[in-house]
Amino acid sequence: MTAALLERTIALIGAIVVAVTACVQLKDDWKASGLDAVITKLLLGLMAFGCVLALLAALNVVGVH
Amino acid sequence: MHAGTATHDTHDASSHIHPPPEGFIAKYVFSLDHKVIGFQYFFTGVFILMIAGSFAELIRIQLVDPNGAIMSHSVYNSMFTMHGTAMVWLVLIPLVTGAIGNFVMPLQIGARDVAFPWLNMISFWIFPVAAVILFSSLLFGSPHAGWTEYPPVSLQDGTAGALWCMAIFVIGISSTMTGLNFMVTIIKMRAPGMTWTRMPLFVWATFATALMNMIATVALSAAVGALFLEHVFNVPFFDPSRGGSAVLFQHMFWFYSHPAVYIFILPAFGIISEVLPTFARKPIFGYKMIAFSSMAIAILGFTVWMHHMFPSGVAPWLQIPFMILTLAIGIPTGIKIFSWIATLWGGRIHYTTSMLYALGFLIAFTFGGITGVILASVPVDLHMHGTYFVVGHFHYVVAGGAVMGFFAAIPYWYPKATGRLMSEKLAKLGFWLFFIGLNGTFLPMHWLGMEGMPRRYASYAYFAKAFPDAVFWNRFETVFSFFMVASVGVMVFNLVWSLKHGKPAGINPWGARTLEWTISSPPPYYNFKHIPEVYDRPYNFDKPLPYGNLDNVVDVYPKFGEIVMPSPVPEPVGAGH
Amino acid sequence: MKSIEMQAVEARYNDVDAVYHETRDLRLLGFVFFLISDCILFSSFIFAYVYLRTSAPTWPPFVDGHQLPWFDTSYAALNSVVLFGSGVTMHYALENWKHLNRQAFYAWLVATIILGLAFLGGQAHEWTGVLQAGVTWPGSTMGASFFTLTGLHGFHVFIGVCYLTILGIQAHKGVYTGSKYFGLTAGTLYWHFVDVIWVALFFLFYLW
Repeated sequence: MTAALLERTIALIGAIVVAVTACVQLKDDWKASGLDAVITKLLLGLMAFGCVLALLAALNVVGVH
Repeated sequence: MHAGTATHDTHDASSHIHPPPEGFIAKYVFSLDHKVIGFQYFFTGVFILMIAGSFAELIRIQLVDPNGAIMSHSVYNSMFTMHGTAMVWLVLIPLVTGAIGNFVMPLQIGARDVAFPWLNMISFWIFPVAAVILFSSLLFGSPHAGWTEYPPVSLQDGTAGALWCMAIFVIGISSTMTGLNFMVTIIKMRAPGMTWTRMPLFVWATFATALMNMIATVALSAAVGALFLEHVFNVPFFDPSRGGSAVLFQHMFWFYSHPAVYIFILPAFGIISEVLPTFARKPIFGYKMIAFSSMAIAILGFTVWMHHMFPSGVAPWLQIPFMILTLAIGIPTGIKIFSWIATLWGGRIHYTTSMLYALGFLIAFTFGGITGVILASVPVDLHMHGTYFVVGHFHYVVAGGAVMGFFAAIPYWYPKATGRLMSEKLAKLGFWLFFIGLNGTFLPMHWLGMEGMPRRYASYAYFAKAFPDAVFWNRFETVFSFFMVASVGVMVFNLVWSLKHGKPAGINPWGARTLEWTISSPPPYYNFKHIPEVYDRPYNFDKPLPYGNLDNVVDVYPKFGEIVMPSPVPEPVGAGH
Repeated sequence: MKSIEMQAVEARYNDVDAVYHETRDLRLLGFVFFLISDCILFSSFIFAYVYLRTSAPTWPPFVDGHQLPWFDTSYAALNSVVLFGSGVTMHYALENWKHLNRQAFYAWLVATIILGLAFLGGQAHEWTGVLQAGVTWPGSTMGASFFTLTGLHGFHVFIGVCYLTILGIQAHKGVYTGSKYFGLTAGTLYWHFVDVIWVALFFLFYLW
């Protein structure tokens, strides 16, 4: 197993875990109000999106040069 | 008729009065009081104004002789660089935002201080540090490439260039923090009943300025930060031979520096919006349009930066939209000018010094604005970029606009700050010296520029061969520039003299209607013992003062020139705090 | 035995402080504005990178006749997941504090700090790899933009790690209560912000 393959595997698993957790937290906090809650929801959402990007990178769908 | 007899206390946190500061250091050096910090900005800014102004005088003396009268070309380059840099970052912005904004804005919204007083103090103390860093660059050869310090030329400045970058970065932190502080203050700490459309127009202006300060200054920090990295670590952002781009610096620099000019002028607009109704005894015309256009200028100001770069080789398809947007930004400004003229129309005008400066502002700024609209046109700008036409334009809007606005604010709020009126005679002398000096110095620059006289040249002998009149006009300008020097001298003398000999001012010598004129002069360190309530805008001179819960018994129809000493509202029996 | 929720409600009920809530409002808005201005800082350097990259004749650029190599996407994906994971752990830490589970709070906070340090370690490793591949800070616009932006971001992560450590110490000292914990909120927002900036940088340097 090459280093790159190992990295991508761990990244894939990690990305799925983190993305799912972030989405669950987002769903739980959806109704919260207040400036800090709004910002938290926005940033959690963007983080989940980042995990999706990392997932796609791990699968070699994006980031292939 | 008197107002302000209710003394119920609002028990919100902003009414919590802290114990007074003790000791010289806490009271005057590291003060957290926005009024003291405003003074500190004022002294430092005026001091640096005199230094930067002296550099300007050296420039003017140099230009008396077409071959250059007194300086080598290198020293001349250093003079206009330091004059511009110091004036933009160490005089104009600190004076209009840090000095006037700090002192006046919290009083006008009925607050006891800004949102983050400690941050305010730090913002101030960074300012002299930045000044020291900038002027120390003179010891290392000085920067030479103009206040815009474009690479690759500016990269030849070595250590001095790196110090220039450091100074600008440091003052940028101060501006950003002040912008943030003012925005939170205005959003969150207005007195009960003061909705957005009941705020004084100076507060609207400060809000729009703070927005720009907070957003744009960071872009400048990035630009000078990148330039610093290139100076010190050879990082190739702007070096074309290694893939960098000199035009990139211009984009990054002007993305800040165009909003910067609106940062200079919007507080001045706010000051004019306060001075005109007070001395015309008429409501401001078009309050909502003036407030709206302040915000429009703040936002549109971010979209026009490329008009400083028309000759830099950017694509023509980019130049056109920027030209259109630059023309468009003249519209909200024009709305304000017409609103101010309409405010004066039919009013009973009192020709105090502040009013004279405001009238002079209307003339000079409008003229400067018109030459700006002329320059907005790409074919015209391609001809006049880098000539004295541009120098004439921006000095009219900056010296004739921002500085005159600042000078209008001084005799207006000096009585509030010190409890004494300035000498009206000296102040009027100062005005006429300044106004005549301004026009004498900067008007001829327009036709010299149209004839092609280049700016930033230590000698213009070549140009003078084709246009011999240039020598006469340059000497003419130099003579009149000394009028402005005299004016500043008179003003500084007046500031000091009036502290001892000025007439006592009382609460409201001008009969103005904003909240700062309901408390004593100078205000107590806590500003308001009871946070006032606001029922309407402050500009309706035919109605009673729209406030409740005032600290002092005040006239509900305040009159111009009437000296009323503060007379506190009696506490009801058993009232505690 | 009162439930966690009831204890939290009681803590808030008994801990009413009008002055605190007023200033918390101010501090929160000020902190959010600070994050916005920090965003502009990164955006300016990102603008410079995009400008340099789109105006270069080739990308990666040529240095001394050789074309520089692309960055290692798979490694960066792993490191990114580490950082995003730390964002989730920080969120859990704050949630536990709000529900008065102090032990869980400390555990999640420590996990966040460890993941943050792991990210920094990963960045250090990435940097040595990039330097060895010939992409240097002064050598090319690729190195200039990469090291400046990731360096600025790494600096922010480092400050974040220090900040979270200080928060942990303060919490241990009893500075924060069940209803007064603005420092923890600010720290969490800052950490999420640093995370999201990395999303942008990951895309710009590794996926584009």
